[in-house]
Amino acid sequence: MLAGVLLLIFLPPLVAKDLCKDSQDGFKVRLSIKTALGDDAYEWNESEMFLFRSTLAYAMRKQTKQDTYNITNILVCNDTQRVSFVFVVTSPGDPDQLIPKEQIEEAVRQNKHRINNAFLLSDMTLEFVGIPPTLAAPIIYDTEPWLIVFGVVIGAVAVGIVALLMSTVSKKRRAKEKAAGLSEEDEGIVKENGTALSGLGGKEGVYNQTFSNDNRFTEL
Amino acid sequence: VKLCVPPSGFIRKLPLHSIELKDITIIIIMSKEARPSWDSPMQFVLACVSYAVGLGNVWRFPYLCQMHGGGGFLIPYLLMLILEGIPLFCMELAIGQKMRLGSIGAWTAISPYLGGLGIASVVTSMYLCLYYNVINAWSFWYLFHSFQSVLPWAECPVNANRTGYLEECEVASPTQYFFYRETLNISSSIDENGGLHMGQALCLLLAWIIVYLFIVRGVKSTGVVVYFTATFPYVVLIIYLIRGVTLHGAWNGVKYMFTPKLEQLANPQTWINAATQIFFSLGLGFGSLIAFSSYNHHNNDFEKQAVIISLINSGTSVFASIVTFSIYGFKATFNYESCLERMRLLCLNAFDLSEESISAGNVTEWIHYLNITHPESFAAIASKIEHCSLEAELDTAVEGTGLAFIVYSEAIKNMPLSQLWSVLYFIMLLLLGMGSMLGNVTAIITPLADIKLLAPLRSGLVCLVCLLCLLLGFGFTSRSGNYWFTIFNEYAATLSLLFIVFLEVISVCYVYGLRRFERDIEDMLGHRPNWYWKVMWAVVSPLLLFSLFIFYIINYIQGGTPTYQAWDKDLVRSAIKRKHIY
Repeated sequence: MLAGVLLLIFLPPLVAKDLCKDSQDGFKVRLSIKTALGDDAYEWNESEMFLFRSTLAYAMRKQTKQDTYNITNILVCNDTQRVSFVFVVTSPGDPDQLIPKEQIEEAVRQNKHRINNAFLLSDMTLEFVGIPPTLAAPIIYDTEPWLIVFGVVIGAVAVGIVALLMSTVSKKRRAKEKAAGLSEEDEGIVKENGTALSGLGGKEGVYNQTFSNDNRFTEL
Repeated sequence: VKLCVPPSGFIRKLPLHSIELKDITIIIIMSKEARPSWDSPMQFVLACVSYAVGLGNVWRFPYLCQMHGGGGFLIPYLLMLILEGIPLFCMELAIGQKMRLGSIGAWTAISPYLGGLGIASVVTSMYLCLYYNVINAWSFWYLFHSFQSVLPWAECPVNANRTGYLEECEVASPTQYFFYRETLNISSSIDENGGLHMGQALCLLLAWIIVYLFIVRGVKSTGVVVYFTATFPYVVLIIYLIRGVTLHGAWNGVKYMFTPKLEQLANPQTWINAATQIFFSLGLGFGSLIAFSSYNHHNNDFEKQAVIISLINSGTSVFASIVTFSIYGFKATFNYESCLERMRLLCLNAFDLSEESISAGNVTEWIHYLNITHPESFAAIASKIEHCSLEAELDTAVEGTGLAFIVYSEAIKNMPLSQLWSVLYFIMLLLLGMGSMLGNVTAIITPLADIKLLAPLRSGLVCLVCLLCLLLGFGFTSRSGNYWFTIFNEYAATLSLLFIVFLEVISVCYVYGLRRFERDIEDMLGHRPNWYWKVMWAVVSPLLLFSLFIFYIINYIQGGTPTYQAWDKDLVRSAIKRKHIY
């Protein structure tokens, strides 16, 4: 009688332990609290384990949209010094039946962000072995940032080219004006002095044959 | 007495009221086309510094230092500077300043049969211009990509279902992936052309437009630009030096560099590399120095300037290698500590030990201990165990584009405020590259513009040369472009330059005549060159150049079929492939 009563009392946890240890539907969890938080690291104790079990129950609730999941449905075993353990999830209706792996994986992936934040950890420091973290989506830009910088630089260069062209044009215009101005000036001078210079043609002058081109260097 | 008249001189009409006949003693003859000149000797010095100090000082010299015994390499390097660097540099400046013409005109003036030497210089400069500006295009690409919150080479892109990173990037590193896949989109062999990389093509266009703007007004525009391109890289190098030596682990790298391994001096390869490095670093033989100095005043003291510029160039090499080695040290220490951290986690996870039990310091002892006490479980992780070694990390010697774009960007991404350091670094690379490009394009334009027929068309000529180089340069922006770049980099200029400069020094000393050259220098400087210059020009430098030339030829013959490193997409590393000889 006493044996029967004892068996009845101790059977559920024993069964539960067996469910956790032998099952294929469990996941190993690893926490690296000291790596993540350094001096601000908290102790891993029963209360933290309680928090973990409740966040998992929360994740299952959200994923299945059933409010029946409770902390008793999350069974934990194989605690180590590393702070790693294995957990399984039992069905709320039938405590002997385990939720399949895929469903748990789905629940964890969808709520990983909330679970991480509950423990002040990240995807690297709170690992579910076998569930790869969902990496942040790549940012899609309307215009790539490098094109914007390129546009700015090539705009500045275009301004430089335009400035160059304008300075060339204005230089030519000034040269033309000066030449026109000089020839008018010459006309005035010629009129004043009336010398033979008025006979010289062209405003550029005439090549004087007196100086020969053959020898570049002085002979003396 | 016949007055010296420039070829196209004529009398300019002077307003008559300013001169009276009794006052005339000299008639001033002004040529409409006086050769443009630098505004001050400082501009000329800065232009030469900007040309000579280029990317080779940053990415080739530190590599040679590392390969050939660290601090000990300075001995052959400085010796070669004295034996061939400074004398040849001075000789080229003297020729340009005396003849006041670009390379073709200058050599034709020495002897009509030597015009081909000038043409060879121009063609070599053309080859260089084609591929060198592609490096500037890459610098632009990296510079523009630095303006993001997370540097694109800091992390791998995620794969399609967001469970992990792209495989090619996982196996290589994010920096290698960014360079080979996103920057170059490299194909797996030189035969597979692929299309053009549009981003690269745009950057190359930008680079050529900027070069055009700097060159178009000749010495006037170049002279202003070099104030910036010559000095700003030093500002960045100093900033990087201060940042570099304060990085964690930088001291490991600097110590590694400066511990001389004097046994390397017995290796002939050390001396050959020192000679070739001095030679190529000073930019001899392209005709750029002749072009630059042809715009000098007749009495400019080029001898002093030659010594100063050569010393600045070598000093910059040593300075840049201190910066590079502090960066190496930082990167090696970072990788070594990451390796230790990975091993620590591996052991903790496999044996479920508490986090405090293994620290980074005793990882190796723990690995031994675990191997002995739990051999079966250890065997399971044995394949993942890496041997972490700081020396092995420091020993990875890289040169060339791999150093500039992969190793440096890897170090930069780990620095705090990495965007700022990235922008500074790539601006420095750009200025170094642009400064050298100025010299190379001037080396093409000056001799061509000296030809009487082409002289009035100078700006059209500049535009044509830039456009032609741009269009041909698009080939380097294709998917196999990097392989073509490597071919050009290794073969386009090296052998021909040695030959050109060898012929230059022989022509000056024996065809033109050393005595005549001495008299010309006396005419320009006011004193004759002393025995050091004469011995170097007549005997030592030609001998050195000739032996280098013979060595290169022997190397080519013994080398067999040339090979190149191709990026294998499947194995995700460089593999050696054979080049086809067409």
